[in-house]
Amino acid sequence: MTQTSPVTIATFIVYIIGVFILAGFSHRLLKKSSFMGEYFLGSRGLGSWALAFTFAATSASGGSFTGYPSLIYSYGWVLAFWIASYMIVPVCTMGVMGKRLNQVARKTGAITIPDVFRDRFESTSLGLWTTCAIIFFTTCNLVAQFKAGALIIEETFNLPDAWGYIGGLLIFAVTVVFYTAYGGFRAVVWTDVMQGIIMGVGVAILVPVVVIHAGGLREVNEKIRAQPPTLVTSQKGSFNDLAIEAVGDHQPAGVRYFHPGTTQEEVTIQWNTDPEASTREFVDIYLAAEDADSSTTSSANDVKAALESNASLQEVIEVKFAFDNEKFTSTPGKTISLGAPGAISLEPGAKPKTYVFVRGDEAIFGPGRKADGTPFHPFGMCLSFFVMWAIVGMGQPGTMVRLMAFKESRTLKRAILTVTVYFGMIYLPLVFIFVAARTLLPHIPQEDADKSMVLVATRVVADLGVGYQILAAIFIAAPFAAVMSTVDSFLLMISSSLVRDVYQRTINPDVKEKLVKLASYTTTVLVGALVTVVAMKPPDFLQYIIVFTSAGFAATFLFPMMLGLYWKGMTRQGAIASSMGGFLIMLACFVPNMLGGSRVDSFGVRPLVFALLSSLVLGIVVSKLSGPPPGHLVRKYFYKEKATKRS
Amino acid sequence: MDPQIESELEEDPIFRNSLREARVILSAWVLCFLYTVSYCYLNGYLVHEPNPAATGPAVAHLLGPLQSFDRDPDSLTYPLGIGIPDWIFYGVVLPWMICIGFSFWYGLVLFKEDELGSSPQESTEADE
Repeated sequence: MTQTSPVTIATFIVYIIGVFILAGFSHRLLKKSSFMGEYFLGSRGLGSWALAFTFAATSASGGSFTGYPSLIYSYGWVLAFWIASYMIVPVCTMGVMGKRLNQVARKTGAITIPDVFRDRFESTSLGLWTTCAIIFFTTCNLVAQFKAGALIIEETFNLPDAWGYIGGLLIFAVTVVFYTAYGGFRAVVWTDVMQGIIMGVGVAILVPVVVIHAGGLREVNEKIRAQPPTLVTSQKGSFNDLAIEAVGDHQPAGVRYFHPGTTQEEVTIQWNTDPEASTREFVDIYLAAEDADSSTTSSANDVKAALESNASLQEVIEVKFAFDNEKFTSTPGKTISLGAPGAISLEPGAKPKTYVFVRGDEAIFGPGRKADGTPFHPFGMCLSFFVMWAIVGMGQPGTMVRLMAFKESRTLKRAILTVTVYFGMIYLPLVFIFVAARTLLPHIPQEDADKSMVLVATRVVADLGVGYQILAAIFIAAPFAAVMSTVDSFLLMISSSLVRDVYQRTINPDVKEKLVKLASYTTTVLVGALVTVVAMKPPDFLQYIIVFTSAGFAATFLFPMMLGLYWKGMTRQGAIASSMGGFLIMLACFVPNMLGGSRVDSFGVRPLVFALLSSLVLGIVVSKLSGPPPGHLVRKYFYKEKATKRS
Repeated sequence: MDPQIESELEEDPIFRNSLREARVILSAWVLCFLYTVSYCYLNGYLVHEPNPAATGPAVAHLLGPLQSFDRDPDSLTYPLGIGIPDWIFYGVVLPWMICIGFSFWYGLVLFKEDELGSSPQESTEADE
């Protein structure tokens, strides 16, 4: 087993110190210009590189370096299709609204997105509503991002299991909240540039290292195809992961864990041994239980022993522990045997927990298969995700506010070209890396796959010899940087919403700058503390949380903003209906899921598509019904005085 | 708007240019969407939804039972020998390269470098 080396940890600490130094420089600039404009928008002075990297780093959230790699690892090449919309994301997200939004924000001196809505439609209620929506969605997303940051710190510093997650969370929170609160927007942008470069360098180095180490992509594919059908019986938070391979001709469909429903001292196995059976049967495993009303008591060791002692299964399956029966990181010098501690938890009356065998071919082609046998990327998802990345990307307030901060048109143009090349260097190569990782680190269960990026850095790279420690630190810093760059911009969005939109523009327009400063610093710190507390009991699967909040932002902000910028007939009422309608439909689709039921997915198409369409239709219809809009607003935002002819 | 006032005004060129550029970009997105989704779904999936209506009656009518598009794993090829499966290469990598070319065309040819003006605060600071 490989521990994270001291050199790697030292490099990582140097990186964090670098972030603090940038915050210090940024803080000095705050004293030289208007506090509010500088703290929340960098005085509209972003150059091409700064805009490009802050945009890229903010878009590449924690999900890009934790959730996305974990999905590649779990489902293979189909993730290239899943992410394919990124081929046109930069030009869509920056080009469609960038120049126009920047111009409209300049006309009124808007600093935040709610500012733009409030001024464009002369509506305080719209400004306050969009402020509330930003706070709601941003807080949800921050919890997921804090979780990702905490996991990376926990793995990197080999923190003990007892308090590793909480310790990682506190270290992450203190770091990111401090530099964001102290340095403001400019610090966030500068660290984004540094982090963006680290991410790019990390991936650029990781691609050849991992792919060559795995024998080349072609070799990787052939190895994956040659792998026997495999399943990993994982349980979140336990060390009971069994990797089971189907090796014989008469292969079962998978395994199912059952609660026995009665008192049972030992694990029992049921399987139809008839090789002529028309359908492939499941191996049914009835776990031990003290009585009918107690949770099961069998461990993975017990299950392994029972499967291996069953004569009819001996030539059909091969049972191993994932990770060669050792936990991959733990206290230095100490390893933990998997399978030994803890019972496989199954409550009385619970549905059987099902795992199906997945063939190697299923990682080369679509649609990919989840552990329970359902397709990962069916047709409805193909449509939804292509819409999501490009179109949803346009509707993120975090990216919109950056489009208000660049210096001139030329800056935007250069930034679009830079991000286009940059995303091409990041997202496809990540597929190469983590498809290859399947052959280098087999049997990471889907539920633990969030850690695959860190595992590749610490376990694969660490075996390569000279210079590996610093390389590993860069690789670990890449996802960490991605998480930080998303968190810092979200923290600023919340504090700007509260200080600027709620307090200064609604409650006390004559507030003195000294109080604005105090409120800005304090709000940023308090929001960070609140999210830290919530993240102590983190959500289960990071990517889905991020997908929900990103979709919610888009449903609430995209069409009100786009129509407001490009349609002269858009009215205040239309903007409110479009924004609230999109938000409510999005929420209505997800609430049943949050309450334990199924999410509303009509025809396999994600709720986002319906929410976006509703938002668009409501914006148009309500504007038509309530129009025309005030003439002075149309003149202000869509016309200019004719240039007088010189005599 | 009052015709007299309208005669003194002209449409904002930044609005006009931005709208034109946005239309071109969104058209490009639609093309990418249609090509990539249809190519990958029809050429890269081992199994398709058993019910053709799952993709909508129009698609089902056009393509027939989707199971006929189920991919035979042994037909896998690697274009250019670089180890990327054929359906990903033609469905994702190739259009991705074309999109990079499009982005450069957009930036270098279509995009107008308009003067964006200044905010009220910047104007005040400049006056001072």
